[in-house]
Amino acid sequence: MIDEQFTAEPRRRKKKVAFPVFSHYNIPIAYFVENALRAEYINQPPLTRRTMEIGAKYSPDMVCTPFKTVLGSSIEALEAGADTLIMPMGLCRLGYYGELEEQILRDLGYHFEMINMAEYTTGRALDYLKAFRGFRDRVSPVRFGQVALNTLKMAEHLDEMESEYYKNVGFETQKGAYEKAFKTLLSEMKNAGDLAAIDAAYAKCKTAFSEIPVEKDEFPLRVGILGEYFTVMDAFSNCDLEKMLADMGVEVHRWMNVTHRNIHYPGEKNLHVRISDLCSYEMGPTSTANIWCARDYAERGFDGLIHVKSAGCTPEIDIMPVLREISEQYDIPVLYLTYDTETGTAGLLTRLEAFYDMIRMRKKVV
Amino acid sequence: MEQKKISGPTIGIPRALLYHRYGVLWTEFWNQLGARVVVSKPTDRATLDEGSALAEAEMCLSVKTYMGHVKALIGRCDYIMVPAYTSFGIRRTMCLTFQALPDVTEAIFRNSGQKFLTCSIGPGRGSAEEGMVSMAESIGYGRKAAVRAYRAAAKKAEAAYAARVKQNEALYKKDGIRVIVAAHSYVAEDAFSGGYILEMLRKMGVTVIRADLTDRKKALARSAHFSPTMKWEMSREITGGMLNHWKEADGLLLLSVYPCAPDSMVNDMIIRKMEDCGIPILTLTLDAQNGVAGAETRLESFIDIIRMKKGMRL
Repeated sequence: MIDEQFTAEPRRRKKKVAFPVFSHYNIPIAYFVENALRAEYINQPPLTRRTMEIGAKYSPDMVCTPFKTVLGSSIEALEAGADTLIMPMGLCRLGYYGELEEQILRDLGYHFEMINMAEYTTGRALDYLKAFRGFRDRVSPVRFGQVALNTLKMAEHLDEMESEYYKNVGFETQKGAYEKAFKTLLSEMKNAGDLAAIDAAYAKCKTAFSEIPVEKDEFPLRVGILGEYFTVMDAFSNCDLEKMLADMGVEVHRWMNVTHRNIHYPGEKNLHVRISDLCSYEMGPTSTANIWCARDYAERGFDGLIHVKSAGCTPEIDIMPVLREISEQYDIPVLYLTYDTETGTAGLLTRLEAFYDMIRMRKKVV
Repeated sequence: MEQKKISGPTIGIPRALLYHRYGVLWTEFWNQLGARVVVSKPTDRATLDEGSALAEAEMCLSVKTYMGHVKALIGRCDYIMVPAYTSFGIRRTMCLTFQALPDVTEAIFRNSGQKFLTCSIGPGRGSAEEGMVSMAESIGYGRKAAVRAYRAAAKKAEAAYAARVKQNEALYKKDGIRVIVAAHSYVAEDAFSGGYILEMLRKMGVTVIRADLTDRKKALARSAHFSPTMKWEMSREITGGMLNHWKEADGLLLLSVYPCAPDSMVNDMIIRKMEDCGIPILTLTLDAQNGVAGAETRLESFIDIIRMKKGMRL
């Protein structure tokens, strides 16, 4: 829907686009917006307690937490100068986020253009490209495809290095070495303009990671993290769970990221083969992947699992009975964490410490 | 009703969730095949307590109730039928809980030894007919007989639904205070959650009209106009049904259970878009609480507002 304010203006207006803050994926999205859509990308401030507060203030009470985060982050984007908001769609409540968010923001009095992907659901994936029709300066279709592929490559590189980061950061001998290398990667990706620069930044980070001295036992404690798409990936939303756990000296594994769930998703049917005794049907958009992932970690002898979700996330609540079954079958402890709008970490730290002590004791005894 | 000789197995159907939508179809289907059907008793405090203990704490009240009904059926039948309804097309999906229901139920009752009949219904998974037929086939009924039974049952269900809609919509012509209740059928008909709220309203002399018992096609078309990306079939029926008739009513009651996923967003949208239309709206969220006094007070004041607006004596 285009706001009146903008239709009156000449066609040449350069859109100032923003996307809700979501983990490190705003970097590839900014690259895509600037190079394929040739619009300006507006970076809103990172998620903070204030984001959560304004989001929660204007959201319905019982809605899932990511809606509140996304709403808060959209308000901050509009405050930072954006005039076009992009809202992705999804198979759960996420599919209705866009419309309700637009209604709330307009009721508040904001003026903007909304690109709601959910409006373009027709059953064919390519129809989502129609959402970009309004960008008149966009590059030629061939170039558009190239940039899109580069964007995916960037996301893949970031995911790979992030996963490497959480596996090793707990064992570095010089505190902060991993974080420094990873932050360099993020800032280099922000400035990368073409595939060569993207690959160079990735190669540099990979070398830097391999040179950092690590002191790791032969059998370190390994914990698998799984759960709801947004909360499990976004470090602010899960109160930096992975770093907190890694700092205790744990190898933290997480399968769920955009690379695995979206870019190289093995598909419902192929993932289902290994878990067909646990569930007969697809239970929800990320349920098959999470159940598969839990079983995979359990079979590989992990010391514990952590299931992360936002308050009220229906598909993740529904897989909890199945996870309990896995926990029973493989005798593996599972910690269930539900995140709401609170941003204090003391309570979480206490629970994690108790979980850590328990899995460490089990490892010594067993 | 043509009753065939009962010789087959006993099929248990929990009186919760989609039973209130497809109950006639399901019971009639098995009756036609010659199976015995056991439907659990209406919800009471014990059902809910049992269900709450079994289900995850964060599941919605209706799912907890469902688990209580399943528990009540265990040992009383050979199979319990738990079909998964996923979707009817684009922007016509069901709440994800209905998609996961068979697997959730099987996981919760994994140690009970109870056999379940399940199927998955939706685009790419098979139609409702195929789903029901496959369940019948899995316990040894012939395909032809099952198809015949389904078609006969579907016809009966359709007629029964049309009769209920007619009866419900006739209420708009009644005198006095008319209140539209926008609630899922499994909330409005459940004796322990929505049922007593509706009963309370009736006792206050209010004509209670349900938004979900409506011409489904017209309701879907109306809701697409109201909110283009609203994607839940049942929410769309309720919203559309309500919008098609709100001018004939004196008040709107948005009744949902805690924590209903679609309602959490749809109710907010309804209130945002309808707050200026001059009709009192009450949102009531039901939880597994013991007392009803709180709900009663809110309903009374809601009715008082309607009376005042109509210029009636309090």
